[in-house]
Amino acid sequence: MARRPLLHAGHAFLLPWFVGFFGLTLGPALASLYLSFTNYDLIQAPGWVGLANYVRILTADAKVAESVRVTLLYVVLSVPFKLGFALAVAMLLNQGMRGLPLYRALFYLPSLLGASVAIATLWRQVFSGDGLLNRVLLIFGIHGASWVSDPDTAIYTLVALSVWQFGSPMIIFLAGLRQLPRDIYEAAALDGATAWYQFWHITIPLLTPVIFFNLVVQTIDAFKAFTPAFIISGGTGGPINATLFYTLYLYQEAFGYLRMGYAAALAWLLVLAIAAVTALAFLSSRRWVHYET
Amino acid sequence: MIIMRHHKSILSHALLGAASLVMLYPLLWMLASSFRPNAEIFTSISLIPAHPDGSAYPRGWTGLQVPFGRFFWNSAVIALLSVAGNVISCSLAAFAVTRLHFRGRDLCFALMLGTMMIPYQVTLIPQYILFLNLDWVNTILPLVVPKFLAADAFFIFLLAQFFRGIPRELDEAAVMDGCPPWRIYWNIMLPLSLPVLGTVAIFTFIFTWDDFFGPLVYLTDIEAFTVQLGLRGFLDSSGTSDWSAMFAMASLTLAPVLILFVLFQRTLIQGIATTGLK
Repeated sequence: MARRPLLHAGHAFLLPWFVGFFGLTLGPALASLYLSFTNYDLIQAPGWVGLANYVRILTADAKVAESVRVTLLYVVLSVPFKLGFALAVAMLLNQGMRGLPLYRALFYLPSLLGASVAIATLWRQVFSGDGLLNRVLLIFGIHGASWVSDPDTAIYTLVALSVWQFGSPMIIFLAGLRQLPRDIYEAAALDGATAWYQFWHITIPLLTPVIFFNLVVQTIDAFKAFTPAFIISGGTGGPINATLFYTLYLYQEAFGYLRMGYAAALAWLLVLAIAAVTALAFLSSRRWVHYET
Repeated sequence: MIIMRHHKSILSHALLGAASLVMLYPLLWMLASSFRPNAEIFTSISLIPAHPDGSAYPRGWTGLQVPFGRFFWNSAVIALLSVAGNVISCSLAAFAVTRLHFRGRDLCFALMLGTMMIPYQVTLIPQYILFLNLDWVNTILPLVVPKFLAADAFFIFLLAQFFRGIPRELDEAAVMDGCPPWRIYWNIMLPLSLPVLGTVAIFTFIFTWDDFFGPLVYLTDIEAFTVQLGLRGFLDSSGTSDWSAMFAMASLTLAPVLILFVLFQRTLIQGIATTGLK
């Protein structure tokens, strides 16, 4: 007797999510799949073009190639450095030292602020030709480049901005380090294992699930980065496409040129790329991630 | 041995202290520079302005044709409504998938987890077309309504994990007493979940306050701008001429997040440690 009302209640509680799932996720995802096979400029009805968008993206659009190169460079540089810093600082903090909560908070702060326009703006000044960094370098007699406006260095300012936000993976590492069993280290120390040996043969293997988690999350995040490149380049992806993230190019195609069909195809390829990278990470994880049994 | 440990700890402190200073220096310097004349910004690296002067604040506040107060108001409305939306809709969904029995429950939960994997770019264009046809562009609706429809599946997941930890005996006893589900949700689950609801609220506020992409796509009328768009407009309009006013407004837009950080630092850090949130 009590079953029936409960059954209805379940659906009633889920109603908002249900509407959102169909109206904002599943529906739009299918619609964008359809649009990716059309040309659509918001004014005239979408016209079917078959695989033309995909063919052009993969074979004929030099800017896509450029943006893929920039994005991959960004991912490949920012993720390892960010995780390396995060782990190094977490190890330092994990020695049971005083002031841990304060340091943890200070190191975390950039992660919290980093996504804002204010920080991207600040970055633009700090790495400009006469910006803060070069003023500091001048003290040491070094004449720095105009980092932001030089196409050879612009991408590294964005990498630096990402690495600067190492605080959130650091906190996750720290939580992981605290779970490691103490007795293994004591036994290893008795056997005369050096700190270096302990790090590579105990800490790293035991920490691989956490490393894996951080790696996947940060890699996906790096693929989706948008705001810093947009602000630092003034929306252009310049200088000479040096900061043209794939997401930035997608935005320009969709909202700058109103090529909605083409942008939808770009979006689907991005999804496939992220899915492929994630799948690869999971497949490789069987070889190097050790879960406790 | 003890002396060695002592030295080691001094070394660690020196290292960490230096690292945190280097990291936070640009931030502090930005704040200091908002109290400097423009000419000094490109010559001084010090954290103390030679002649502190607050004139950049009123200059920045009225630097665009719409005062910054308008952007703060818009951002606050969007962020607070988003908080309400996420807390209500995500807790309803989490309650349904953890506590109620109905057909397709596990499928629903799997779909929720699935939507977490989908990058927003995929749904972006059709959503834009939808909201354009609903005549919602340049209103707050495209930014706020999705929050009331539990679009941030991550928070459903976070709440569901917490709900699972609440002893079932509590609500089973209530069901025995003939307590309807909405009262179990409202009188038992929500009051017991205040800490995690707080986490959801704080992160939602910070994410929506900092959000640039959503407002960039949906808000083109300067009257509707959020602080992030206002700041970007300022950067474009003054070129890069009035940096102290720029830094003054940048510092102001960071203030709400900084205040939340100081007040709820523990909650934020716990939230990341347990869930991997940003």
